[in-house]
Amino acid sequence: MSKIIAEAAIRGAYACMNRAEAMLSEAIHRHGRAKSIAFPDTAYALPVILALVGKRVEKLGDLEEALQVARTWLPAPPTEKLWLPYLGGTLDAGAATLVAHEAVEAMKPRLAFDFWLGPTPDSILREQGIKLVDGRMPGFAACVGAAPSDEVAEQLARDLQERNILVFMGGNTGGETMAAQLNRRGVEMNWETFLVPYGPDTSSIVHALGFACRAAFTFGGLRPGGIKETREILLYNKRRVMAFVLALGEVDDEKYATAAGAINFGFPVIADTDIPEILPSGICTYEHVVANVAHRDMPSRAVEVRGVKIRTVEIPIPVRHGPAFEGERVRKEDVAVEFGGKYTRCFEYLTSRPMDRLQDGLIRVVGPEIADVPEGARLPLAIFVEVAGRKMQPEFESILERHIHSFLSEPMGVMHLGQRDSVWLRISKKARDAGFRIEHLGTVLLHKLRNDFPAIVDKVQVTLFTGSDDVEKLYPEAAAAYQHRDERMGALTDESVDIFYSCALCQSYAPNHVCIITPERLGLCGAYNWLDGKAAYEMNPHGGNLPVKKVEVVDPVLGQWKGINDFIQNASNGAFLKFSAYSMINDPMTSCGCFECIACILPGTGGIMIVDREFSGQTPVGMTFSSLAEMTGGGQQTPGFIGIGTLYILSKKFISADGGLARLVWTTTRVKQKLGDKLRQRCEEIGQPELYGKIADETICTELEPLIEHLAAVEHPALALGEMI
Amino acid sequence: MSLELKPKRWAGAIREVTLGSGSRRPVTVGGGNGLPLHTFEASFPHRPVFALEITDVAPPRWIDTVRQPWNGVLGQPAAAARRAVDEFGADLVMLHLMGTHPDRGNRSPDDAAADVRAVLESVRVPLIVKGPGAGPKQNDVLARVAEECQGEGLVLHSACQEEYKTLAAVAVAYGHVLVAESPIDMNIAKQLNILLSDASMDLRHTLIDPLTGGLGYGLEYTYSVMERIRLAALGGDAMLSSPMICLVGEEAWKAKEVKVSGGVHWEVATALTLIEAGAEVLVLRHPEALARLRKQVDCWFGGETCR
Ligand code: SF4
Repeated sequence: MSKIIAEAAIRGAYACMNRAEAMLSEAIHRHGRAKSIAFPDTAYALPVILALVGKRVEKLGDLEEALQVARTWLPAPPTEKLWLPYLGGTLDAGAATLVAHEAVEAMKPRLAFDFWLGPTPDSILREQGIKLVDGRMPGFAACVGAAPSDEVAEQLARDLQERNILVFMGGNTGGETMAAQLNRRGVEMNWETFLVPYGPDTSSIVHALGFACRAAFTFGGLRPGGIKETREILLYNKRRVMAFVLALGEVDDEKYATAAGAINFGFPVIADTDIPEILPSGICTYEHVVANVAHRDMPSRAVEVRGVKIRTVEIPIPVRHGPAFEGERVRKEDVAVEFGGKYTRCFEYLTSRPMDRLQDGLIRVVGPEIADVPEGARLPLAIFVEVAGRKMQPEFESILERHIHSFLSEPMGVMHLGQRDSVWLRISKKARDAGFRIEHLGTVLLHKLRNDFPAIVDKVQVTLFTGSDDVEKLYPEAAAAYQHRDERMGALTDESVDIFYSCALCQSYAPNHVCIITPERLGLCGAYNWLDGKAAYEMNPHGGNLPVKKVEVVDPVLGQWKGINDFIQNASNGAFLKFSAYSMINDPMTSCGCFECIACILPGTGGIMIVDREFSGQTPVGMTFSSLAEMTGGGQQTPGFIGIGTLYILSKKFISADGGLARLVWTTTRVKQKLGDKLRQRCEEIGQPELYGKIADETICTELEPLIEHLAAVEHPALALGEMI
Repeated sequence: MSLELKPKRWAGAIREVTLGSGSRRPVTVGGGNGLPLHTFEASFPHRPVFALEITDVAPPRWIDTVRQPWNGVLGQPAAAARRAVDEFGADLVMLHLMGTHPDRGNRSPDDAAADVRAVLESVRVPLIVKGPGAGPKQNDVLARVAEECQGEGLVLHSACQEEYKTLAAVAVAYGHVLVAESPIDMNIAKQLNILLSDASMDLRHTLIDPLTGGLGYGLEYTYSVMERIRLAALGGDAMLSSPMICLVGEEAWKAKEVKVSGGVHWEVATALTLIEAGAEVLVLRHPEALARLRKQVDCWFGGETCR
């Protein structure tokens, strides 16, 4: 904490406290201690004092006691010799300042002139405060002081209004106030316009904090009391009331002291002047004081520093959109413009940037727009998405990028297939006629990313390159990123991490089922890999994916860890004691019902077969997929039968405890096609390049006897491995 | 030789929740410490209770069989509530504000609040208030009702995973009970309760609605999810130990079969199954179903031999 700020705040706190005490003794002298004191139309007495001191002030005598308590919070002013760089003392001084401010506001005569609204009655609190708490209103800005000009004041107010942020105004800069500035510009100020001027003194901004405290009392069900209660109220504000202070103009001692008070609530201060910053987080979620911000940037900077999340309800594009349109095809005759497929280069590439490198919401089309090209034209396209976020990690890039497909499938009249550099995208004539442009692809991505991933995405910038040169110029970077990601994913092994992720999403119909997702074994539905689990947990710590520590190894071959076994016992409600990640024979993982494939042993072959969900015919084990599914699923451990995600077959850990890939004697052509070259490559890696050709499929046989003959004829390695059980 | 039963003891129990306060005669549910109806080994301080459903406007889709007992009072909530309690013996009343739905009359939050007031004045039993369904209107209507009826301990139906913050805030602010609805999914039921407690809701003021499937329309699915929720609660999972409410009438009378014959049987069969799965607040439509179920429940809990 800056010594300058600490000194100024503490000095300011003394000044405020002295003034309040002087006013009070004067008032007591004139009216006596029994004289009542209150804000109009509220059940919360003087709410900030109620929250911070835990005392309901109804009479001047009560106020005297409250001020006495607050005075004890004032730390000794820092001197040249003695300076303890503690935030604590300054924060206490800030809290005392707020108490003094509220005392002053309560004693001073009502402002019955101009545009000042004064304290807020409970009825408005109930109507508006709930919007802060339930998120309809993203937050409030407490503006202290005045802008350098009327125009700047109006612009600032409009920018905040646009974001639906409630604006409280109080205090002055050299006699000028923001409210007077807005008034001169003819801006309407009241609770309907979300512009609420409290009063011209610095002390009046305490009403904004009173508003926050009353929201905590009313909607948080919190009660005033001792230190613990106060702490809860402050924490509630930090977590639920997304407020911040905008310090306009010179910051004097009293304003520093007031700002220190607001920091207690987790409300950071954004200043337009060059004051010392307090950057590291501690009380506030992120920075405490950020200085020297241009007025035009204040709203966005404040939103970012406070961690306010703004959700778009309606994505502003001229066509309807939603998951309902996801499977929609745009036929050749209906195409207005087309990208990719086999005709042009079309790829999508999402990358992350540092927070300060992006201009949130910027969407650009570089190259021809839809109106610039003839109907049915084929253009190259690079969808270049840059995101930034406090909690963004490079590892999440590929996850977000994978969502581009579903996002861009949602607008009516847009067809999107494929991913990475195999994208095929069409925009229909109908969509174009409705006003849809290439730019709107960016609009969709911007809002979808912000709305669906608020925990990790704070800023989004989209550039759509439609000129050949630009597309080709960006492509090598994208291709390198794809490759890099694949390599990283490949290098991620079960041994290289301490944490696996659980997935309990399927418990609702497979009661005791829980997937343990490791870097080398994805969820059996094929939809969740280890990174997805990690990202899902980051985004929603109460969701179905939890981190599970491996702790010590119980059996490295079977793939058992103490932490995992403990977790399984708990998560399966005691039904299972242990799990093997690498075996389908000894304590295999349970299977729910949504496995992509089933692997089961084939007695007499020494091997296993794998059948995928789409395959409806008979299999060598004598059962179809659906009858096998009945045996395998339901959250049971059935030795010899497991549900798997198709990609698990390529893993080095694929039933490695039971002999691994060499056990595979039969699968479907669909599985072979899906894995293709990668499966061949795995065969080579295990030193058996001919294995691929020896694995039978339904074109060779679908019964056991002929299969055994086939295996003998091709000398399949499984025969030599012996029976599995 | 007689068979000795060793009573099963569980780590957890169902939370007690009191419905209604202020001018209501409160009704408490929950508190059991064993599997539903295992009266031989566990204690159940409260029996399952029955509510009858009434509506703010005449319900267009109710078939004749279920309209008939309400002749003359359909769409008149105050009068219907009186009949439900005085004549039919309902423990609670559920006022379904169907007319506030944007497509079914779009009545205003103020109209809704006036209806609820009128019902509160006509009967003394606790009141369940069901909004028009998820969406902004649900919040507007229920928030207005909650504010108007501060301190009455209404049971607000319902908050869901996507939309819970507003209703949690008003339930806390104005002293009501909140129903947390999940789409036949235990994980979501649990997560929603975590979210609600995170939003300062005291879980002693919440019920779980696991979403009911009627007989022949997913009842077994609901049954197994409820069973799971119960087992988890008894196993000690506090986030799932709220009592469960089931809107039986709504589901049972949707079935095609009720038009042919035996609508009341259908409602009774659905409700009995749900009681066995752990439902403690059952919302019915037909008074005869209520009478029959009451007899059965009294007989189970009264300790007499059931025939
Ligand atoms: S199958 Fe997929 S969704 Fe289901 S629990 Fe496993 S990973 Fe989760």
